[in-house]
Amino acid sequence: MVLLEYQELELLITRVREISGFDFSGYARPSLLRRASRYLAKHTMNLSELYVHIEQGGKAVYDFIQELTVNYSEMFRDADFFIALRSEVLAYLASYPAIRLWVAGCASGEEAFSLAILLKEAGLFERSLIYGTDLSERVLASAREGVFGLGHMRTFSENYMLAEGKRSLSDYYHVAYNQAVIDATLRKNIVFSLHDLTGDGVFNEFQMVSCRNVMIYFNLEQRQKVFKLLYESLGMFGFLCLGKRETLRYSGFEENFRIINAHLNIYQKIK
Amino acid sequence: MTEPHSNPLNLVLMGGSSGSFVIFEQIVKLATKPLSCAVIFIIHRGKSSLANLPYLFKGKTTVKMEEPQHLDPIKNDCIYFAIPDYHLLVGPDERFYLDDTEKDFFSRPSINATFISAAQSGINIRAAMLFSGASQDGAAGLKLIAERGFATYVQNPDFAEMPRMTAEALSQYNGHHILNRENIFEEIRSVLYST
Repeated sequence: MVLLEYQELELLITRVREISGFDFSGYARPSLLRRASRYLAKHTMNLSELYVHIEQGGKAVYDFIQELTVNYSEMFRDADFFIALRSEVLAYLASYPAIRLWVAGCASGEEAFSLAILLKEAGLFERSLIYGTDLSERVLASAREGVFGLGHMRTFSENYMLAEGKRSLSDYYHVAYNQAVIDATLRKNIVFSLHDLTGDGVFNEFQMVSCRNVMIYFNLEQRQKVFKLLYESLGMFGFLCLGKRETLRYSGFEENFRIINAHLNIYQKIK
Repeated sequence: MTEPHSNPLNLVLMGGSSGSFVIFEQIVKLATKPLSCAVIFIIHRGKSSLANLPYLFKGKTTVKMEEPQHLDPIKNDCIYFAIPDYHLLVGPDERFYLDDTEKDFFSRPSINATFISAAQSGINIRAAMLFSGASQDGAAGLKLIAERGFATYVQNPDFAEMPRMTAEALSQYNGHHILNRENIFEEIRSVLYST
């Protein structure tokens, strides 16, 4: 296995920025080092070959960036999170005539579709609009199609059952050409668009922002910037949902939120 | 007047899987007085495991125990346990980093992930140890740590409940110290309290 060292990683980050404009400087170095080393192993490259690859620019450098930033997800990941949303957040959201939710770092849409199902079963979906954003156009294209391999649907169905779903997950997709296609009725109130949490700004005001397992990509300084963006994107009394192991610690916004669920890191903006 | 300087960080890394839990409990019990190192345990657990190891081991040691979160600083005199479903990485800035890239040998947390990141961090590793388990995880990381000049130990496969993990480590690198049944805990205690 080829292992990169930190100095080599820094040179790589600089070169990627020069060639593509994409800036990894706010990303957590230990994870980047691991991901970049795995990229080399997967593509049986050494560092020199990776440089040659990146120098090609275009699709080649984009592929590298994509593999280092892609956020792996599942529908109804952490079932207890969805149970808590149903019992502790939805009643509040129901008081709004129009509900805007943002799934930041949505990858191929798993969480956005999960929220859509949750809202549908609570009778709120018709007046909801879910924005799913990611910095990768490739995963967004996949999200817009709403297509998943059947192999994944087994895990997703198990998660849905654990999340106390009211029906069967198969009620929300159909199978075509050995793949699961999320029903168009669920997709109609979801907008998938490009957004880079490290560079782009506020684009709307939301009643709920879900940004789960994304903060672990960033270093301390960048993490604070992203928290500021999420804070400014929330309306007063809006909800911020983080990953199961991501707290507001070191965010600089600890005082601006009250804890709705400490175990699941659901917070409400109070000032 | 000079500022009192804190002791430099030293890591003691422990990895294990099936059959290691009992050993880990015994090791925790060895920590009977303050440690001049941070002890980091990585044990394979399913993603839905709710076991809170600091809680389970409460009362077995007087040393502080934690399940670290992303960016928590790593400190001497603390025992850390990797949480399920994330790799636990050691950063050169002496902080923990959580990572959710794919599993190594079907495991997240993976022992290799922590061991390799620690070896690359530049932080002093007093020792790294590998115990019973049924997978190949940990072997590559332990080898890297040994190659960088740090002390490495494996439980003798002959008395490991699941010998595959330590046997794999020895097959990849034969310079690891062997922890035998007769003296395993004496040796570990002397590592924990060496200076």
